[in-house]
Amino acid sequence: MNRRAWVASLGSFAAGLALTLTVLAPVALASGSASPSASPSAVGATAPKGTPIVLGTIPDPKGGNVNWTGDQVRINFDPNGADVGANGKPLANGGLDLAKTKLFINGTEQKLTSPPSVVYVAVGNPTLQYIWNTAYGKGAYDLKVVMVTQAGKTTEYAWKFGSQGSAGGGSLINVQVMKDWFWYIAAGAIITVELTVISIVLASIFALFGALGRLSKKMTFTQAWDRYRSREYMVRMVFGRIPYWIATFYTSLFRGTPLLLQIYVIYFGAPEVIRALGLPDTYNPSPFVAGVAALSLNYGAYLTEVFRAGIQAVPKGQNEAAWAIGLSGWQTQRRIVLPQAFKIVIPAIGNDFIALIKDTSLVSVITVEELLKRASLAGASSMNFFSTLLVAAAFYWALTIFFSFWQAKLENRMARDKARERERR
Amino acid sequence: MSTPEAQASTGIVQHTVGREVVVEVKDLQKYFGRNHVLKGVDLQVHRGEVIVLIGPSGSGKSTFLRCLNFLEDPTTGEIEIGGVHVVCGSHGGHFKKDVHQIRMKCGMVFQEFNLFPHRDATENVTEGPILVKREKKEAAIQKAHALLTKVGLADRMDFFPSQLSGGQKQRVAIARAMAMDPVLMLFDEPTSALDPELIGEVLKVMRDLAAQGMTMIVVSHEMAFSRDVADRVVYMDDGYFVEEGPPSEVFFHPKDDRTKRFLRHILPEKEPEHAKELGIVAVGQELPDPDAAPLQGAAGVALNEDNLADTAIPRIPLSDGPSGELPLPPGNEEL
Repeated sequence: MNRRAWVASLGSFAAGLALTLTVLAPVALASGSASPSASPSAVGATAPKGTPIVLGTIPDPKGGNVNWTGDQVRINFDPNGADVGANGKPLANGGLDLAKTKLFINGTEQKLTSPPSVVYVAVGNPTLQYIWNTAYGKGAYDLKVVMVTQAGKTTEYAWKFGSQGSAGGGSLINVQVMKDWFWYIAAGAIITVELTVISIVLASIFALFGALGRLSKKMTFTQAWDRYRSREYMVRMVFGRIPYWIATFYTSLFRGTPLLLQIYVIYFGAPEVIRALGLPDTYNPSPFVAGVAALSLNYGAYLTEVFRAGIQAVPKGQNEAAWAIGLSGWQTQRRIVLPQAFKIVIPAIGNDFIALIKDTSLVSVITVEELLKRASLAGASSMNFFSTLLVAAAFYWALTIFFSFWQAKLENRMARDKARERERR
Repeated sequence: MSTPEAQASTGIVQHTVGREVVVEVKDLQKYFGRNHVLKGVDLQVHRGEVIVLIGPSGSGKSTFLRCLNFLEDPTTGEIEIGGVHVVCGSHGGHFKKDVHQIRMKCGMVFQEFNLFPHRDATENVTEGPILVKREKKEAAIQKAHALLTKVGLADRMDFFPSQLSGGQKQRVAIARAMAMDPVLMLFDEPTSALDPELIGEVLKVMRDLAAQGMTMIVVSHEMAFSRDVADRVVYMDDGYFVEEGPPSEVFFHPKDDRTKRFLRHILPEKEPEHAKELGIVAVGQELPDPDAAPLQGAAGVALNEDNLADTAIPRIPLSDGPSGELPLPPGNEEL
């Protein structure tokens, strides 16, 4: 089954990183708790530590007009500490004892074709998975899961579900599914915009310093030696060159490695670094913070080159005129060069901004519930990926059109002295 | 200020004796890579003096001017402006501070204006006083308005540079430099980028400045301006100050052959009326009207086509080569 292969491939990938994940899981879930099927009836946050908390299920406890294939149940849960052994080491399967953990449908224990498993559909986000062969059709169902941890604690979670049967025979573009999930996906668009705006602002700040660093190199060491023949000057020049080296290293590294890898390294690597430094886990970045960090650092590297070109495009005479009236180097940059450079690079920033809107989808891999993540979760819940992903695509497209419009507005505003000129004529 | 005639009669600049020295340059040298551009020049400028630098392109005039406020970093030498002394070449000690002090004391006007395009005329002028001298915004704006009025731009104060003509831009640039209350104004070919009909308005502002006693060093080939306003004309060639003296001396009685040759190129082009009056024509053109007053050479010999030929400098018609380029003296071809 296609869907199983999809789940399994992600699961096997996640298994490779399980050691890190299990430590991260609480952090990941803290921000990613609003899964599609989350319900107020889920076991509350008051559950004692060591007892797993069910965050959401497929089929959905809300019931309603949702299709169910009837051949599997998935339970997304927060291990709530159950996945950490007595010695502090992470436990497999999100801390569950799979032999004792059971699923009941209409009061009967469901027989399985293969043992239940715990997979990380999204990394750091454990899902208990029951799969069998015969499918339940249309009808009302009482479902109950009894989760038993390896420490012996038991959690029961029961819900009712009215199924419309499998989506297999439905239309390709299921308008009802789109309607049902529209607002859920729309909420993801807000996260996408937050990610984009925060990241582009931070990226611009990184890029500004990166560009100034890249441009701090005035001459080569050979040229300086030829000109000054002064050891003292050369020593100072070595220190003066450090910003250039840092900026060059930064742009080279972040432009030379994949963004997806950077997201993984920051999200999964940071906790390891924090642990190595002996700091508590509370310092671990949340998926959102890690995503913003990766996106802004990556786009900062690209924008560095954009800013550098913009600053270089400001005529040298502007610098000279500013120096001649006594402005310091920093004043010259801030008051004279950067405002002009900014005007030059606005189209390029706008370009990167639009590219960034789309690249935020990559942070779905670290469980940030932005557009794509929510659309695929909705797709998994409704068994209608095509419809929900189309909704996400529409959102992305609308966002890029919207921001392109404002970019054009901003460009016009920056050219206001030219506009005034036209008025006067 | 003494008239050119008075200066001509004495041959030295008498009226500056005893006045405060504003600029003192000693043995200034500048290399661009291995290219020796300034080969050791000395200059002393007294308060209120107007110096005009002339010379062929590539002779180092602009470089010299830009070295004075450290837009170019001189290789060796000493510069003292308004009491701030800098030994060039070493970058230790107070070098940065001193350079900043000197820049505050020098106003500079560029050939290409270099106005800040994102600031209107008033903001261009107030930028320095507010940021560097920490003046109150209102006071700086008032001062800017006064300066802009003085340069004849009272009705253009809130115009952006893109809305101004070349002459207006250059006048804003002069007001911008003046806003820092400089002791010395540097003009780097202020009229070269202007259309002919706009040159006059800029020169008028410069004349006014000179009349108010502003110390000025001007790189310019505006001969009429130099003749009327300059206390001293310096002819520069190949990185040296070849000849200096009152305009009447340098223009009308040049001693050095290179000066003579340069003037023969520059005068007919820049000041056809004046050149005709002096009997100078461009090389390769017809001989002057024999009735016109001949230009007197240094030795009292009329400067004309014949005796200039005696200087053994190859004659090249003006139409040859890039404009302003001179045939190189023998032995200097590699430059």
